[in-house]
Amino acid sequence: MQADPPILEVDGAVRHFGGLRAVDGCSFTLQRGMLAALIGPNGAGKTTLVNLVAGALSLHGGRIRFLGRDISGWAPHRIASLGLIRTFQISREWARLTVLENLLVAAPDQRGENLWNALMRPGVSRAEERRLVAEALDTLDTFGLYAMRNEYAVTLSGGQKRLLELARAVMGRPTLLLLDEPMAGVNPALTDQLAQHIETLRQGGISFLLVEHNLEFVERSCDYVVVMALGRTLATGLMSDLRQNPEVVSAYLGGESVERAAG
Amino acid sequence: MSAIVFYIATVVNYFFIYNILAWGLNIQFGYAGILDFTYITFMAVGAYVAGVTSLGRQQPGTGVTYILGWHLPFPLPLLLGGLAAALLGLLVGLLAINRLRSDYLAIVTLSVGIIIYSLVGNLTGLFDGFDGLVGVPEPLNGQVHLGVNTYTIFYMAVTGVVMVILWFFAQRLRSSALGRTMRAIREDVDVAESFGKNTFRIRLVAMVIGCFYAGIGGALLIGFVGAFSPGGWSTLETFIIWAVMLIGGRGNNWGSVLGSFLVIALLSEATRFLPAIPNNAFLEPALRNIVIGAGLIVVLRFRPQGILPERKAQFSEVRAARAGPGEPHAG
Repeated sequence: MQADPPILEVDGAVRHFGGLRAVDGCSFTLQRGMLAALIGPNGAGKTTLVNLVAGALSLHGGRIRFLGRDISGWAPHRIASLGLIRTFQISREWARLTVLENLLVAAPDQRGENLWNALMRPGVSRAEERRLVAEALDTLDTFGLYAMRNEYAVTLSGGQKRLLELARAVMGRPTLLLLDEPMAGVNPALTDQLAQHIETLRQGGISFLLVEHNLEFVERSCDYVVVMALGRTLATGLMSDLRQNPEVVSAYLGGESVERAAG
Repeated sequence: MSAIVFYIATVVNYFFIYNILAWGLNIQFGYAGILDFTYITFMAVGAYVAGVTSLGRQQPGTGVTYILGWHLPFPLPLLLGGLAAALLGLLVGLLAINRLRSDYLAIVTLSVGIIIYSLVGNLTGLFDGFDGLVGVPEPLNGQVHLGVNTYTIFYMAVTGVVMVILWFFAQRLRSSALGRTMRAIREDVDVAESFGKNTFRIRLVAMVIGCFYAGIGGALLIGFVGAFSPGGWSTLETFIIWAVMLIGGRGNNWGSVLGSFLVIALLSEATRFLPAIPNNAFLEPALRNIVIGAGLIVVLRFRPQGILPERKAQFSEVRAARAGPGEPHAG
């Protein structure tokens, strides 16, 4: 028997914007079940890397493999269909869809999305629709958004939008969730709540790669950390070990920020 | 008396046809967020193709030249008109939708429309150029043999039946999962893409269906008027349909009906009853556009979502699955 392929292999990824090499030969490997963090100073290329993995930007070099399959150059929707779902740094809800609809759309491979079924045989997707609504309502309940289910998503508060991003991503039935700063701009209470949700989801079998600046959370929860600087992988490992790594410390401005961010 | 009945029947015919046109644009923009600024071109293609497939062969010596001349019975020209518009919509969509979004797409569609307008106007062998098609047979009048007034009333039934069928499908699409995904694409195409939606294909579907509606509307129009030339589908006419949809309420097919009633049956008709303005023949037709434009500005200022905004989707909440995974899944 062959061992499971790694869930994500980034192998020498390169992406430049004109003369700027935003991602410049970045490599790392994540195993299934990991809750991994991607950290690094501003401008290290983290968000560009997320966009490369999700297919939103095209690679200028290197390969990316998801569950052993080479997904380099694939369109974002094909990558998502394999179970690699990403969120965005700034919450991007579908504003004039209700909260419930935001979750319903996220469900993959719906029979009602087929044109023939939609126009000629709406009956064939009725049972599926009922099941999706029930699943979405349960998910909203879990994330504390049930009361808002029939409101337009645009009316949610910043924190609620963060929860919606995560709840919606779960409806996408991910194998690997790619979260770009899920805790950016949220209060400490919500940070704990989000961390709790992520932990629960991980126990449910979802692997994570999250870009995060909250190093305290990273140290507490993540079992693998990739440090990026200047578009490259600087180091990988556990946060507690990386703190001792002089290169990592100097990447974070002489170590001061690491300590301060860790509180 | 019969003059008034004839007049009302004429306005109702236009009202029905503009309902269809507005729904098609609503499917493109209201559902899927596609800024199609050459919608009228697809209506025109529908009209022309319906015209040349219902007309007989061109007669030498008349100076009227056009292709085909198949002399097909109703409803074949109607369907061919719709399909031709859909096909052109597919081509424009393949060219533009994959690479462009929002305002860039709008500019490209506008340019495509101007190109097609010039081609149709100058290639006189196609649809008789700027002179246009005339004497297009009235659908089914070969069978029913009605006079002008009675035929207008009869034709109301024809457009009415076609309208009801298209209403049915527009509403079905709206309430389907596909329609929901289209609206998600309208709100944020990148996020829809990142949830595994083939946004290019789905926007193409919306484009093609909308163009089919435009083509059917055009085919009904040429059957009613009996003639069609580039004067009837200038760029400006696209924005009349936009006004219909935006005033009524984007994303809401009832809104399009209301918009069609207000713009086509009221605002546009009202300007006909103004006293003639001496020495200025162009002022009166221009007044129609001034009034519609003013109406659009007022609505966008005070009700930006239209008079009948898109309604929130409601779901019956049978939370049987709440208890656990015991819910049987009918796949």
